[in-house]
Amino acid sequence: MTNDKLQIKKLYALSSENRKFSFSLPLKQTIRIGKRNYEVKLKADEKFGAYILWKNRKYPVEIVHSRQNKYEILFNDISYTFTVETPFSLQRMKVLKSRKGGAEKAYVKAPMPGKIIDVMAREGSNVLRGEAVVILEAMKMQNEIVSPANGTIIKVSCRPNTNVMKDDLLVEIKL
Amino acid sequence: MKIKRILIANRGEIAVRIMKTARLMKIETVAVKTVVEPNAMYLASADVIYDNTENTAEIPVFLDIEKLIAIALETKANAIHPGYGFLAENAYFAQKCIDNKIIFIGPSPDAIYKMGNKTIARRIALAHRIPMAMGSEGNIANEEEAVITAEKIGYPVIIKAASGGGGRGMRIVRKSEDMEKMFIIASKEAEKAFNDPSVFIEKYIENPKHIEFQILGDTKGNVIHLGERECSIQRKHQKLLEEAPSVALDKRLRKKMGDMAVEIAKAVDYYSAGTVEFLLDSDKNFYFMEMNTRIQVEHPVTEIVTGIDLIEQQIRIANGEELKYKQEDIKLSGWAIECRINAEDVQAGFAPDPGKIVNLSMPTDPCVRVDTGVQVGSSIVASYDSMIAKLIVKGKDRREALKNCKMALDKVWIKGTKTTLPFFRMLVRHQKFQDGDFTTAFIEKDLEKYYYNSEYEEMLAAWLATKLFVEENLDDSNTKIDYKHGKEMSPWLLNKRMNQF
Repeated sequence: MTNDKLQIKKLYALSSENRKFSFSLPLKQTIRIGKRNYEVKLKADEKFGAYILWKNRKYPVEIVHSRQNKYEILFNDISYTFTVETPFSLQRMKVLKSRKGGAEKAYVKAPMPGKIIDVMAREGSNVLRGEAVVILEAMKMQNEIVSPANGTIIKVSCRPNTNVMKDDLLVEIKL
Repeated sequence: MKIKRILIANRGEIAVRIMKTARLMKIETVAVKTVVEPNAMYLASADVIYDNTENTAEIPVFLDIEKLIAIALETKANAIHPGYGFLAENAYFAQKCIDNKIIFIGPSPDAIYKMGNKTIARRIALAHRIPMAMGSEGNIANEEEAVITAEKIGYPVIIKAASGGGGRGMRIVRKSEDMEKMFIIASKEAEKAFNDPSVFIEKYIENPKHIEFQILGDTKGNVIHLGERECSIQRKHQKLLEEAPSVALDKRLRKKMGDMAVEIAKAVDYYSAGTVEFLLDSDKNFYFMEMNTRIQVEHPVTEIVTGIDLIEQQIRIANGEELKYKQEDIKLSGWAIECRINAEDVQAGFAPDPGKIVNLSMPTDPCVRVDTGVQVGSSIVASYDSMIAKLIVKGKDRREALKNCKMALDKVWIKGTKTTLPFFRMLVRHQKFQDGDFTTAFIEKDLEKYYYNSEYEEMLAAWLATKLFVEENLDDSNTKIDYKHGKEMSPWLLNKRMNQF
């Protein structure tokens, strides 16, 4: 195990929008932008709690969730979700993806007939798995229809105050 | 001063706000301690705390008329300030106060009733030739009448609940074939929400600005206005940012709308502070919408540009004093912007995000005023609204106010819940907002993104995620815990520590 660890030279943080950030190991306290290295520090104190110090400015950070290699981080009050991958796990992911034939899209369909009350999904915006994209009223209940995956909304095919049938396409998401 | 001791029939920032002025006026205050928020910040501002934590009644005490009257009598408070929300616009409560010889700090029960009923309010406005969006003269009896009336007004129309408010029970209808169905839905909805199925129909004004006028009236019949507030930045009829004055008004239009606002207030012999709401279309036609018979959340922006303490005026008027200002004494100077910092998740459609505030730091610059009822350790509970603080920023003009607002937003530090801060940071940088080019549809139509992040923020977050992964999976040596001021530490331990709060 220790040998495996030593072999890891790089880590990748993949954002929910599939942006890739790579970091060499051992992890440095600097980030290179253009030709300059900038110091980045994680600190904490009583007044502010944990923060990142970057270019003489403090940014609040909080960890919202973490599970295995997946992290939801609140940075300057904005939530980001990353999975951290090693070169091996990243390679494995790629292989798995190509085998699946590139299921790059996810579709949100109406689980039952009803009326669209609200559409939170906006074309071009990012969604997290489990985030409500549409509110569907059926059986006198307002049901939150959630995104099945992290991704970017590429098409919204429903409008508020319209009726939909079961399995009607509501939202299309690019993974 | 007849008023010696005021029972604050409210909580949160408005309770703190009222008590602040009462203290300056050397009037004592009574606050109610509830089981939901036994350590709330507003309790610290009161002279007397009434302990109601034993009361486990289902309705909040701030909605319990009999109980509040009993508390006032028991604590020898001879006046009640209702704040906003809860019973602030309940005519029966105002009457009950009078019946028990308690001074209600607000308008007369009659004015509350008339303005609270949209159909009566419309009739009054009509009688005084206040411009209104064309609409039905009274309530609509049935589907057939709805179709005929809408045909006469011209589509699109909006169906509104006579007893409604806050956007509930409203339906926009664009074609006559939908009218029948929508009328039935709206009426049913109104009955469910307000115990009153009556609805009326109005012309629907597309993409208007929401402009409201602050009114002050005394019991001697004097009524003045304190200029307008621009409240078009709203989402689902919930205001997020307000400013005073508005870029859309010039002197002439301000006078015209202000005069109308005063006239409608006079029509119901209005006294105390109140707000007349208008819609303003792109051709600068304005339409009376409704009158709010209470102090409003966004009252500070008016206080800043007029220099008048509205709570003090409310108390003086309730005390029977004559207004010391005439209309010509009211001079607007500078510009004020208020951001409502709520515990909401902007990235999840502004969903409420209740939680405990672990860190809180607000800017202390002279151009900033913060009205809050929250401190470190306070909980934003699901049973009340999600407000954390109102950040009110001023400048000599809109440009400076915006600049100061941007600076102040970057200084606000709140941890423990997600907040609307990223929304405002985006808004103050948005070209159309900066240009004053926005309507009530701005959030739904003009925004591609609800939050702002600078170029490198995501990368820094990625670095942090990677650091956490390294510490958890690759680092054999135990990370040192060193929790002294400013020392480096493992965020894991911090997270665990936070969860223990």
